[in-house]
Amino acid sequence: MRSLLRRTGKEGSLANNGSGSSLFGFALSLPPLLLVLGFVGIPILIGFTFSLGFTKGPNRVIAIIGQQIHPKTHWWGTFAAYSDVFHDSRFVGDLVLTLAVTAISTVLVIVIALAIALHQRLVGGRTASVLATLSIVPLFVPVVISAWAIHTFYGGDGFMRSFFANIGINFPTLTSTSTAIVIGSVWTSLPFSILMISSGVQAVPDALIESAKDCGASTLKVISTVVVPLAQTPIIIAGSFTAIGIMGSFTIPLFLGPNQPTMLGVEISNFFGSYNRPQQSLVMAFIVFLAASGIAVLYIWSNVKSAKENGRI
Amino acid sequence: MKNVEANMGLELRGLKKILGGRVIIENLDLSMAKGEMISLLGPSGCGKTTTLRMIAGFLIPDAGTVKVAGKDVTNLGPEKRPSAMVFQNYALWPHMTVSRNVAYPLKIKGLGKIETAEKVEAALGLVNLLHHQDSRPGRISGGEQQRVALARALVQEPDVLLLDEPLSNLDAKLREKVREDIRELQRRLGITTVIVTHDQEEALSISDRVAVMNAGKIEQFSNPQDLYRHPATEYVATFIGALNRFEGNLVEGRIVSGSDVIGIRPEDLILSSQQNDDALPGTVELVIPRGHFFEVVIRREDGIFKAFTNEFIPAVGENVFVKIKKSLRYQNGKLVG
Repeated sequence: MRSLLRRTGKEGSLANNGSGSSLFGFALSLPPLLLVLGFVGIPILIGFTFSLGFTKGPNRVIAIIGQQIHPKTHWWGTFAAYSDVFHDSRFVGDLVLTLAVTAISTVLVIVIALAIALHQRLVGGRTASVLATLSIVPLFVPVVISAWAIHTFYGGDGFMRSFFANIGINFPTLTSTSTAIVIGSVWTSLPFSILMISSGVQAVPDALIESAKDCGASTLKVISTVVVPLAQTPIIIAGSFTAIGIMGSFTIPLFLGPNQPTMLGVEISNFFGSYNRPQQSLVMAFIVFLAASGIAVLYIWSNVKSAKENGRI
Repeated sequence: MKNVEANMGLELRGLKKILGGRVIIENLDLSMAKGEMISLLGPSGCGKTTTLRMIAGFLIPDAGTVKVAGKDVTNLGPEKRPSAMVFQNYALWPHMTVSRNVAYPLKIKGLGKIETAEKVEAALGLVNLLHHQDSRPGRISGGEQQRVALARALVQEPDVLLLDEPLSNLDAKLREKVREDIRELQRRLGITTVIVTHDQEEALSISDRVAVMNAGKIEQFSNPQDLYRHPATEYVATFIGALNRFEGNLVEGRIVSGSDVIGIRPEDLILSSQQNDDALPGTVELVIPRGHFFEVVIRREDGIFKAFTNEFIPAVGENVFVKIKKSLRYQNGKLVG
């Protein structure tokens, strides 16, 4: 079409139309952009300046109410609140727990979701369908209900301990431990990951799997060299979203986790509300934000790589 | 006996396949010699791809045996069969470069790096794609992708090469070129090859023999010339090439009512402006240029005939004489004369 227009000498008008339509497109996307900027971007900026000791303007009231506030000592601010946080052994313990729970839960979620997706793709049948359907049920159960269900199942007076006590086995109490947070996190994160990874694995064409088999590859080889690399982007997306979600989770660690150390989501809330230390709370939030940004970079890299492979860029 | 088996490329005996409660293949027999190239030709749904997938091992037959080079492979999976397949849409892995695609089967076999590199280079050289060895499949053309798929199959040095509609995604010009390339390579390497196609021109021009399939059975398995000149069944006669088909008998060059089916190839009709033996008059209704010949539609009192000619080209509305040079006679769908 474009070459036809060029031949008829209408390229210029096409270019003008193109530029006009791109402006129109930009105008259409402006309202949500402004909304995100107003409700997310500006609060982030204000919060960040407060963590650096900018206590005037929109931060004036919270600076008066909060305790252990460090006003800025240089034109760019101060790292005093950051120093507070990193010298607090509670925070270091919380950070380690948060990272460990996030890593372990994410790996478990991806492994389970991938196993179900591969079973569904390569074996199929009624069992696979039932399993895939059951595995997304938690998506429809509110997190607080799930947390309570896990509590009554694994708690000191829960089902598991009662059941095993009847046969003379002392089953450990898992609630108020990091294990319970992992169980809860896997339970709540699994459905989304299964949906995401299943769609990625299902999208691998039959012919690509069959051609690998035709070349002599065993099922394991087909999975490791063809299916997983081709479904890499949805796997990374599912992993990124799962990790970011778990890292900032609140309900599950609050209901099921230990008091100390605890996940940073709970600790941020404690510092903000119970301890009235909003500046330190914001510092912790930015540390979580930085860690999540690292995961987001992985997500973007994966998307770019996929686009390059498919010749889109 | 051993000599016979050594010369055997592929043998299918009593193959049967039921899919979704429907019989797709019914008691199919076929054998081909080592180094031969055959086509499975038929319309969509006739069972040609199912047959190919049973040869490749993607489907296990419900009855019958598949032997490759004399060895029974009926119950072996595709990864254990001495065959290699070129898929309809090439099935190249987009996350691997061209050379990695070709090297894949060799790595699976556990070949060393140097040997693998040598074989990959040789295979890519064979299909003239050495300059694309570091490209991704998505970055090369359809014809080149087809050649990569061929190189990946050839590098396995299979006993049987299977091609599933390999040219259907290519444009007409490229299809002709790749077809010639495949035939030339097959002849040079002497590799036993089965090609599935619904394109009769492709099948007739590339194969030593063609198996025309219909409703899960082979109607006729013969060389292209024989298929065209002596189609054993009415189905083959109508499927292969153009045919004037009449229900009736042929008496002194005229179609009269009767129980037979008469088939006449358009090139077996002789047109002239002069009356001669057995020629009957007709009026030209249509003249269509077909490149190196003309298609002429003539109405005679006993029917409408389509003739191919490049000698006498009449005008529309002109009265001409039409003589039937050769005809095929079928009873109950079978050739009787």
